[in-house]
Amino acid sequence: MAKRLRKELADLRKDPPSSCSAGPVGDDLFQWQATILGPADSPYANGLFFLKFQFPPDYPHKPPRVTFETKIYHPNINSSGNICVDVLKDNWSPVLTVPKLLLSISSLLTDPNFDDPLVVEISNQARQDPQKYEATAREWTRKYAM
Amino acid sequence: MSSASPLKVTVIAADALYKRDLLRNPDPFVVLTVDGGQTKSTSVIKKTLNPYWSETFVVQAKPSSVLALQVFDHKKFKKKDQGFLGVINLTVKDVINMEQGGENMITKDLKKSSNDSQPVSGRLLVSLQTSGKDRRESEARTSRSTRSSRTETIDAEDGNPPGAASSNTNTNTSAPPSSEPAPDVNANTNPTPSADDGSVTSPFEDQYGRLPSGWERRTDNLGRTYYVDHSTRSTTWTRPANDAGERAARTRTDQTDNERRQHQMRSLPENQNSQTNLVNTGATTAGLGELPSGWEQRVTPEGRPYYVDHNTRTTTWVDPRRQQYIRLYGPNTQGSTIQQQPVSQLGPLPSGWEMRLTNTARVYFVDHNTKTTTWDDPRLPSSLDQNVPQYKRDFRRKLIYFRSQPALRILPGQCHIKVRRDHIFEDSYQEIMRQTPQDLKQRLMIKFDGEEGLDYGGVSREYFFLLSHEMFNPFYGLFEYSAHDNYTLQINPHSGINPEHLNYFKFIGRVVGLAVFHRRFLDAFFIGAFYKMILAKKVVFEDMEGVDAEFHRNLEWMLDNDITDVLDLTFSVEDDNFGQKQELDLKPDGRNIAVTNENKLEYVELVTQWKIETRVSEQFKAFRSGFNELIPEDLVNVFDERELELLIGGISEIDVDDWKKHTDYRGYSENDEVIQWFWKCIRSWDSEQKSRLLQFTTGTSRIPVNGFKDLQGSDGPRRFTIEKAGDSRHLPKSHTCFNRVDLPQYKDYDTLVKKLSIAVEETVGFGQE
Repeated sequence: MAKRLRKELADLRKDPPSSCSAGPVGDDLFQWQATILGPADSPYANGLFFLKFQFPPDYPHKPPRVTFETKIYHPNINSSGNICVDVLKDNWSPVLTVPKLLLSISSLLTDPNFDDPLVVEISNQARQDPQKYEATAREWTRKYAM
Repeated sequence: MSSASPLKVTVIAADALYKRDLLRNPDPFVVLTVDGGQTKSTSVIKKTLNPYWSETFVVQAKPSSVLALQVFDHKKFKKKDQGFLGVINLTVKDVINMEQGGENMITKDLKKSSNDSQPVSGRLLVSLQTSGKDRRESEARTSRSTRSSRTETIDAEDGNPPGAASSNTNTNTSAPPSSEPAPDVNANTNPTPSADDGSVTSPFEDQYGRLPSGWERRTDNLGRTYYVDHSTRSTTWTRPANDAGERAARTRTDQTDNERRQHQMRSLPENQNSQTNLVNTGATTAGLGELPSGWEQRVTPEGRPYYVDHNTRTTTWVDPRRQQYIRLYGPNTQGSTIQQQPVSQLGPLPSGWEMRLTNTARVYFVDHNTKTTTWDDPRLPSSLDQNVPQYKRDFRRKLIYFRSQPALRILPGQCHIKVRRDHIFEDSYQEIMRQTPQDLKQRLMIKFDGEEGLDYGGVSREYFFLLSHEMFNPFYGLFEYSAHDNYTLQINPHSGINPEHLNYFKFIGRVVGLAVFHRRFLDAFFIGAFYKMILAKKVVFEDMEGVDAEFHRNLEWMLDNDITDVLDLTFSVEDDNFGQKQELDLKPDGRNIAVTNENKLEYVELVTQWKIETRVSEQFKAFRSGFNELIPEDLVNVFDERELELLIGGISEIDVDDWKKHTDYRGYSENDEVIQWFWKCIRSWDSEQKSRLLQFTTGTSRIPVNGFKDLQGSDGPRRFTIEKAGDSRHLPKSHTCFNRVDLPQYKDYDTLVKKLSIAVEETVGFGQE
């Protein structure tokens, strides 16, 4: 398992993805920190979001546990930073790697899944009053992610 | 360099020492050494993790002197380095300026010794003082302040709110034997750190403090926090409130009562009171109603009950109320009187007959006279078994065979086990381990301390019920819930945090054997692979599903897909033992051997074996040695793993109305003919057949305490589901992690009954898909 993580790390350094970064915290290969730059076409634009990756000993047979460390106003991300996205649950596959996960999460910022919300209040608001939702999301981005 | 001068060292207290024994607290004392020379030791404080000494020693020390304060458990301090509970090293000048004088009190975390890897925990509180100061005053201050701080510590660590604990004891629910903190278990049950809040580390507490006793905090895969009540084995989103302890305790008592009722209803086909009952158990059970007129029950001086028939002036060991009669339904006996034949007296086989086992452990009979074989016991009227599925006939035969073996006969004499209800684990451990296996095969006489009541069955039933709740409780770190449904049990691979764990596994093995031997049931259900291991069967990849469905799914993925340049695996695994990660080889030099499409099958086999067997092999060996002391391996091998589950746990009464009420349909609706037939068929079945169907569809015959509404799948609550799927010529299929059965649209009722029976019967192993 360590070999796989070392390879992912080497690949990341060789071919860093655009608008995100990732790497181990300290010398523990199983704890990573990552950043995502808020997508330009979203209310999170220009925000820099920090995420924590915790890899289970069974990785890649089990998905990493990924949480936002930066506060974010999003219907699929709750106040503890937990993310509700299929690739980290039922649709996890060992083919997925850290950059692919970051890409999925980044696209979740552009296209929130209002049908399967983790924070029902935010998803209701986004439906009933999209302007207000976007304004709040932008406000939080400015306050916490810049 | 200054010369040595007097230094007063006060060993005040320690707090949260490491609990090395499962059930007993250490008797701690401290040895103080100055520069490896002068040695002093404190008195011994009995049975505590938070000892308070407040003893002062005067030593000669220089500012550069190093003080070593080692904590030991007096009970184990017999040989060198035994009973070590931690050490702190202090350099005097770091704590106090000896020239200026004064006093300084410090708290330091206890550390491991350099040559010992045993885990330690807790802190030691010490005060250093140079003489010449007003020592009396400061000493008084020190001891006052430490005493109060110590009390606070204990309150915070105490897991049992008084309300919950006391009402538990009153109502005979299982309360933990004592209210000490259990640091080993905290670490054990939740090895992955909680992501909510860095300050909260234990699953038994949160920002509002300790959870009530028996509760654990968990996080689901969405990061939502939920709470597990281990006493009732139920979950809730709502945090249990400490101040609502009494109400919670009452609910819990009700639930335990439900559980107990369910437990007491369990049975095996050998002692079901029906016309298909074939075996007299020989055991006497209280509450069977009155004896027939003219009968009297007496007890021999050894305590064995026997029966006097004053009508005939005869005595017998057999309880006349348990007498089972075989009714003959052959053409010649139509309407005739019941032919009385106590089944316990089936007697030997007819001359020339022999009983044998097939290689799949089915009992069959050889008639050497005619050189023929048959499944049917020649001593039994064959017409009895009509319309009974084959697996059911087999299980009953196997039970008859099993019980009839000399090794499983109760020996003369009595085996007395006396325990306190609120210390049932601790007391049982002492009582059961001090006796020999031969002692344990005598008639079991359980007694609860301070309670009246002879054990005619009811007491021992209650005993095994309570004890199974205790010894399998993940709190003790010996067993844990599987990732399959959160409720089936498996051995905790990291139980070694308790150095005596193997003795406890042996004990638990004996208890399981004892229950089977004395025909009692445990209120515990294990992963399917555990039963296979008891039967010494090879664990295969399919068994992984019952252990960890997600892991299984991803291993399956790698078998089904090209893994070249995708997975980068080697023949090794990462083991996480309380945060210490270790790479282990699955075969020699495995970490340097890449997993490829060619050898991935071997990898899957090895990783399955490691995850299910290798990691717990020592524990399992200890368990099985205890179990086999009462139940010989070659006898239990007549059963398959599903039958073994029933043998250990018994067959529950199943409430079909509740089952139906909490069933979902996909592709069908409740009014569809096939669905109506399905329920009609289930209702026509007896408890064993219903249990078998549950095993087939959910992987275990266990029903949640509060009924089917609480049925769990691998990913949280999952109601029983019937899906319209499959060709009507085929058998129904099941998906145990989703509690789902795929039921084809059969043409008529008879076909459904037949297909469903065969599906349940033919299923080998627990995992279906």
